[in-house]
Amino acid sequence: MSAVFSIALEHLWLSVAGVFLACVIGVPMGIVILKIRVLAGPVMGVIDILQTIPSLAMLALVMFFFGLGNMSLITALFIYALLPVVRNTFIGLTGVKSELLEAGKGMGMTGWQLLWQVQLPIALPVILAGFRVAVVTSIGIATIGTLIGAGGLGEPIWRGIQLVNTPMILSGAVPAALLAIIADYSLGLLEKSVVSRGLQVKNTN
Amino acid sequence: MIRFEGVLKAYGSLEVVKKLDLHVLEGEFLVLIGPSGCGKTTTLKMINRLIEPTSGKILVNGQNIMEMNPVTLRRKIGYVIQQIGLFPNMTIMDNVDLVPRLLGWDREKRINRVYELLELVGMDPEVYANRYPNELSGGQQQRIGVLRALAAGPSIILMDEPFGALDPITRENLQDELKNLQSKLNKTIVFVTHDMDEAMKLADRIAIMKDGEIIQLGSPESILRNPSDDFVLEFIGKHRVNSCELEKVESIMKTNPVTTDPDRKGTEMLALMKRKGVNTVLVVKNDKQLIGVVTIEKLDNKQNLTYKAEYLADTGLPVITAGSPAREAFDLLVSQKLEYLPVVDQNRGLLGLVTRTSMVNALASVVWGEEELS
Repeated sequence: MSAVFSIALEHLWLSVAGVFLACVIGVPMGIVILKIRVLAGPVMGVIDILQTIPSLAMLALVMFFFGLGNMSLITALFIYALLPVVRNTFIGLTGVKSELLEAGKGMGMTGWQLLWQVQLPIALPVILAGFRVAVVTSIGIATIGTLIGAGGLGEPIWRGIQLVNTPMILSGAVPAALLAIIADYSLGLLEKSVVSRGLQVKNTN
Repeated sequence: MIRFEGVLKAYGSLEVVKKLDLHVLEGEFLVLIGPSGCGKTTTLKMINRLIEPTSGKILVNGQNIMEMNPVTLRRKIGYVIQQIGLFPNMTIMDNVDLVPRLLGWDREKRINRVYELLELVGMDPEVYANRYPNELSGGQQQRIGVLRALAAGPSIILMDEPFGALDPITRENLQDELKNLQSKLNKTIVFVTHDMDEAMKLADRIAIMKDGEIIQLGSPESILRNPSDDFVLEFIGKHRVNSCELEKVESIMKTNPVTTDPDRKGTEMLALMKRKGVNTVLVVKNDKQLIGVVTIEKLDNKQNLTYKAEYLADTGLPVITAGSPAREAFDLLVSQKLEYLPVVDQNRGLLGLVTRTSMVNALASVVWGEEELS
């Protein structure tokens, strides 16, 4: 049991590492394409194309650069997570009503103050939704990481398939599913706690 | 306070504001009004540099705004927009003290300021300071919008159709409050609207704009009296005829009030009231001189029925002299809760009677036009 637990933990770590990198790069990227709007089309286009590459093919391609092991898996997950993170950051930020920007600017807020105090807090629910999608899909994709020598819950699953050993398959599949569900749920809680209450209350008018 | 000198704003070959010269005086409430596309909002937004003029100069307190840092400039000028634009992620407190926060006021001073402002518009700070904009009605939100503009104590406030999106009753209330605030705070306000009623109610001076030019500039009354051309005449529309501001009390009074001699008895007056279907009669001496008034309530007493009119008459009732503005009669009726107001000449000779009904008729003819009233 403790073996399964430590594998699950490794699985979670690998998945989150990829998404975390995607956030570190992706959120600023979303801000950049908001500010330099001509870049939005090309950047989103490239990310879209990356997203369409089948996961197995992606792992194989990444393996050329990083060889066997966790590094390749994290890189692949990073690439997959970029789309939801960048897209949601961009959509969330562009969704902020123009009158709020006008009011803020008209009262003497600088561009950065508007970004930090108005745009990002208001876009936060959408950005977090992207993060949530990215985490859940990463946990799924990470199960095939074992094919390129990465760790995680893919290992018992694939070995179980080859040995036709159902309990072994389940010992990987069930924790992977649970992991996804728990991650989704806890990110939902996180969203509730970090998003301003003013954006959560129902409009009473 | 604010001076436009030959200000031109063009987008390509389209000139939305043409060589504008305008001097907004200190402490004045200036309303820019005109049909959509006349350049009024552009003119307003050039003051805080949300839009920059193509040529010409705008001076605020004698300083050319193009030589000032736009952020510094905007923090010194209050700004209220039609869509309200409160930040939904911030509490009312954080919304109102935004500019003081940007200016780096210390926390205690900011809290005191927000409390003071909320109290100014009758919103209990304990209740509202920590609420969020979405928890407030549209009218309350725009009150906060106005307070936010006042927070750092700017001497100039720009308002871009601030009440345009509100329902008529709320709009009316907010106009009253703004007028009230203005009389207390004495800010220089530039206010854009396309609603002539609003302009008439609020403005010290109105600038009527059309195709990027000011067609006429003056006090509401002077514009009503002397519209400069057909466009202005059409624009002021229903205000041009029968404006109560301009009318004399004689034009709205009833000329044949029910009167009686001083020596008629209570019983006779009661019969007279029944016959004429009224509940008051005016007591006049020598067919003309007003003594007082007898109401039906006075006659609801057997003993009084035997007295003569001159003893029953209430002589202390307010009267209004012919030639006074109708507005004055209206104010008297409302403020003293009177049912009627006799109109007299210099020698207290009775000319007529203004009642609540005649007042309402006069107002109705202003609102809907005379022809529709029979």
